[in-house]
Amino acid sequence: MEGVAEPRPAVDARAGSEGTRIDLDGVCRYFQVGDTVVKALDDVNLHVDESAFVVALGASGSGKTTLLNLIGSLDAPTAGTVRLAGVELTTASRAERTRARRSTVSFIFQSFNLFPGLTALENVQFGADVAGRDAPETVARQVLESVGLGDRARHFAHQLSGGEQQRVAIARALATGNPILLADEPTGELDFHTGVQILELLRAQAEAGKTVIVVTHNREISRVADRVIELSSGRIVADHRPVGGPAAIADLHW
Amino acid sequence: MAQTGLWLRWSWRDLRRRWPVVTAIALVIALGTGTYAGLLSTSAWRTQSNDASFALLNTHDLRVALPSGSTTEEGRLAAVVASLEHAGDVAAARERLVVPTQIAGPGDLLVTGELVGTDTLPGAAVDGVHVTRGRALGAADDGAGAVVADESFADKNHLTVGSELTVSGGARLEVVGRGQSPEYFIVTGGQGGLPFLTQKGYGVLFASLHTVQRAAGADGQVNDLVLTLRPGADRARVAAELSRALEIAQPPLAADLTTRDDIDAYRVLYDDIDGDEQLWRIVALLVLVGAAFASMNLTTRVVEAQRREIGIGMALGVPTWRLAVRPLLFGAQIAVLGVLLGLGVGWAVSIPLRDVFVGMIPLPIWRTPLQADVFAQAAVLGLLLPFVAIAWPVWRALLVQPVEAIRVGHLAARGSGLAPLLSRLRVPGRGYRQIPVRNVLRTPRRTLLTAFGIASAITTLVTTVGLLDTFGATLDRAEAEMLHTAPDRVSVALDTFQPLDGDVVRTVEQLPEVGSLEAGLRIPAVADPDGEGVDLLVDVLPAGARWQPTLVDGQPDGGLLLAEEAAADLGVGVGDAVTVEHPQATATGLRTVRTTMVVAGLHPNPMRVFAYLDPAAADALGLAGTANVMSVTPAEGRSADDVRRALLEVPHVASAQTPQAAIDGMRTTLDEFVGILNVAALITLLLALLIAFNTTSIAVDERSREHATMLAFGLPVRTVLGMTAVETVIVGALGTLGGIGGGYLVLRWMSATTISDVLPEVGVTASLSATTVVGALLLGIATVGLAPLFTLRRMRRTDIPSALRVME
Ligand SMILES: Nc1ncnc2c1ncn2[C@@H]1O[C@H](COP(=O)(O)OP(=O)(O)O)[C@@H](O)[C@H]1O
Ligand SMILES: [Mg+2]
Repeated sequence: MEGVAEPRPAVDARAGSEGTRIDLDGVCRYFQVGDTVVKALDDVNLHVDESAFVVALGASGSGKTTLLNLIGSLDAPTAGTVRLAGVELTTASRAERTRARRSTVSFIFQSFNLFPGLTALENVQFGADVAGRDAPETVARQVLESVGLGDRARHFAHQLSGGEQQRVAIARALATGNPILLADEPTGELDFHTGVQILELLRAQAEAGKTVIVVTHNREISRVADRVIELSSGRIVADHRPVGGPAAIADLHW
Repeated sequence: MAQTGLWLRWSWRDLRRRWPVVTAIALVIALGTGTYAGLLSTSAWRTQSNDASFALLNTHDLRVALPSGSTTEEGRLAAVVASLEHAGDVAAARERLVVPTQIAGPGDLLVTGELVGTDTLPGAAVDGVHVTRGRALGAADDGAGAVVADESFADKNHLTVGSELTVSGGARLEVVGRGQSPEYFIVTGGQGGLPFLTQKGYGVLFASLHTVQRAAGADGQVNDLVLTLRPGADRARVAAELSRALEIAQPPLAADLTTRDDIDAYRVLYDDIDGDEQLWRIVALLVLVGAAFASMNLTTRVVEAQRREIGIGMALGVPTWRLAVRPLLFGAQIAVLGVLLGLGVGWAVSIPLRDVFVGMIPLPIWRTPLQADVFAQAAVLGLLLPFVAIAWPVWRALLVQPVEAIRVGHLAARGSGLAPLLSRLRVPGRGYRQIPVRNVLRTPRRTLLTAFGIASAITTLVTTVGLLDTFGATLDRAEAEMLHTAPDRVSVALDTFQPLDGDVVRTVEQLPEVGSLEAGLRIPAVADPDGEGVDLLVDVLPAGARWQPTLVDGQPDGGLLLAEEAAADLGVGVGDAVTVEHPQATATGLRTVRTTMVVAGLHPNPMRVFAYLDPAAADALGLAGTANVMSVTPAEGRSADDVRRALLEVPHVASAQTPQAAIDGMRTTLDEFVGILNVAALITLLLALLIAFNTTSIAVDERSREHATMLAFGLPVRTVLGMTAVETVIVGALGTLGGIGGGYLVLRWMSATTISDVLPEVGVTASLSATTVVGALLLGIATVGLAPLFTLRRMRRTDIPSALRVME
């Protein structure tokens, strides 16, 4: 196992040295709710420049999803700057932001959000298509195989179990070839056993050179992280690497 | 009850949250009920306006008319009336001389018409003239060259006060005013042997009795008397006395006694109301049904969105009926909103409808008050409609297991539909290009619902526009038949039967404007007089006539040629016998007899009145060797108008008309329908746009989560938009095709039932023009296809995170 602090090179050739850099400086995200202002994120500074398995940990409502959305340029900060792979998202045009999403990050959602009208394979191919990869079907087949669902290619979402659906969702994200994976509570709707399988899969991606940011309220999960960012009431209250390196996934239980 | 307040508040919030959809449903209902109210108000307006107009001008109760061509001395008819036992019941009586004439005037004006001369005794007029411009005739005009021209005739021919006219016989008359008289409120045809007339092409001039006597060269003669009765007088008794007095008059007076109910204009103006109402009721109902389906489509979506909350209510043990309260209250609020808007729409719709009628039927008085009862009816319908529309989705929502209703996320996205079957069917291109087609197939119920909403709107549109097409096609068929050869011919009608070798025929033949002449007969007849009673105008064409009817069945000679429609109405075919009541010449004059004739063939003219007999078969008429019509071909270098102008100087010529003028006359017969249908078509177009648009934007809303996922993966908005457009276009095409088919079926059904009731004299066959079909297709598909564009702004501003969180 590599040293936790040492950055790994990005797997994707397109992502140069800047390819996986995430820089948040003085980021605030406020929501006006009625008369009150909800500070979902408040003066957050975060820099991720390594290929690693990063876990953002926090209680419900602490701002984890908001953070992920900002990194993925689904949302814009109220103040501060967000840079993704060297692109300053806050001042970027709509087209640039779309391009950044298309070529840099890939989302994995708590509730999967597979396209119900597409088969497992087609959902995965969607990722390859969007990123404009060559031979998208071949890529999709390989990736689906790699998450262990080669035999489920022709199934529709409703014909798959939750864990299988999430694996398809991960495959879809991987098929883009993008260097950063953003996963919001990826195990939230899954039972323990399936959840662990999903974590293994995600961790393997980090080991293969991707930057994987997993958001969770489950402290157990943070034990297997290379780096843990703790959020509370919209602020980063801790940013550390587990002493003695990440625990083995087999040691987890919740 | 505090609880009631809660439910009301809650559904009020539902309403506010979904106000665009709610407004759309309300508008759809408003268009439906408003059209209903507007269209059905016209019946009441027409009845009231007819009543007022006929009363205003002292429309005659009884009329004595001498047969065409004969007259009697002035004063004789009045004396007969004065001699009646109950002469005291007569309020006023007026002798008249009514003669057919040709009228020439400024510009190239040359039309057939009649002169109506009435004595100018003091006292109330009978069949008075309501002067709209210029002045009325007074005692000073007795015998002078002053006339009041029929308002519509003057209007359509740009006659003004001061216009100079020349009538048959060469008399010159000056128009001193324009006005309307009850017998001529509308011109219905039949005058001068012309079955179809317009007020543009048929001029009526009102003058003093002595003026007309002078113009017609009939000094001291009258041929007509009209009288009104005192209120409460027994019309039947006076009529019986009068009829008896005429019979015993010496020398004999072969006069026809008719009542007010026999006045063509009177009969048609009242009869049409009922027939038309049938048609409008169906059009209005169609719009309502379209509105019902559309609002069902919309409410279903609203209820489906409440599915989860209903489930939560179930989980909390709320009784089912109470769970139904909220969506039903929602429906009630839509209903109230719809009805309120509907009253406005009804009012707005009634403005163009009123204009159509006022422009179409020239009455001196138009009463178009708000029809409270019709609006109340419409309001009730409008209130019930949303309940009907919402009942089904509510019923469905309440039937499910609570746990299913609550279930969220991936588990709720139950697979169904045809997508699995068709996963092998692939659209070329990138994988996600499959999404639109798959989405359509994956949720067949929803797809059908959307398609149905669009289809119902298109059905209504296609039916209304199709009625216009059908009428247009009918006229085209008539035109094709009447103009297939010799379109330059002029049909000349004589006022009496003239010997073929007599002066009149010879005079016309020798006119330099006349190239060739065919003399024939045109006999009014009634087929199956005791049963169907189909009115016919039987033409006896000379052998080898330039124009001959086309045959669709049978032989050209050996019997009667009937229009297909007449044969169908009579239930006869080629070779069958039919009883025909017709005039027959005898030594002492014309009498009415019945003859059994064989149907020799059928012709395609949709106007069922036209019938033909070959000269041999015409022997039964006892009119051999005479003619009362002539078909004249202009001489080389002369026009039909030249011929008509020359005929003006020939005595006994009652009218001269080109076939084109007859076709124009038919066209006006249908114009009233066309006018109203145009209004209805406009409304249904609006309805179709509204429905198509809303259905689509709802469908787009339902895809918001998928769209957000695509956007999160960096797919550009325009690609997502394009995919949405593809999806909606597929559904739109489905709905539009269904709507066109449905419209055609409704049209066929209406042609076979309602239209043949309303217009029995015309054989209409349902037809849709290519323009209508293509137009409906483009409209349906374009509207739904473009609807996503209007969501562009919304999509660009999509808050992707919240859209993704929808179910989390
Ligand atoms: N669109 C929004 N509008 C208003 N408040 C929001 C919105 N999104 C998030 N919040 C608020 O911001 C805070 C952080 O939310 P979120 O990032 O979703 O938390 P977490 O994912 O850690 O549970 C919460 O208090 C939440 O209610
Ligand atoms: Mg969250």
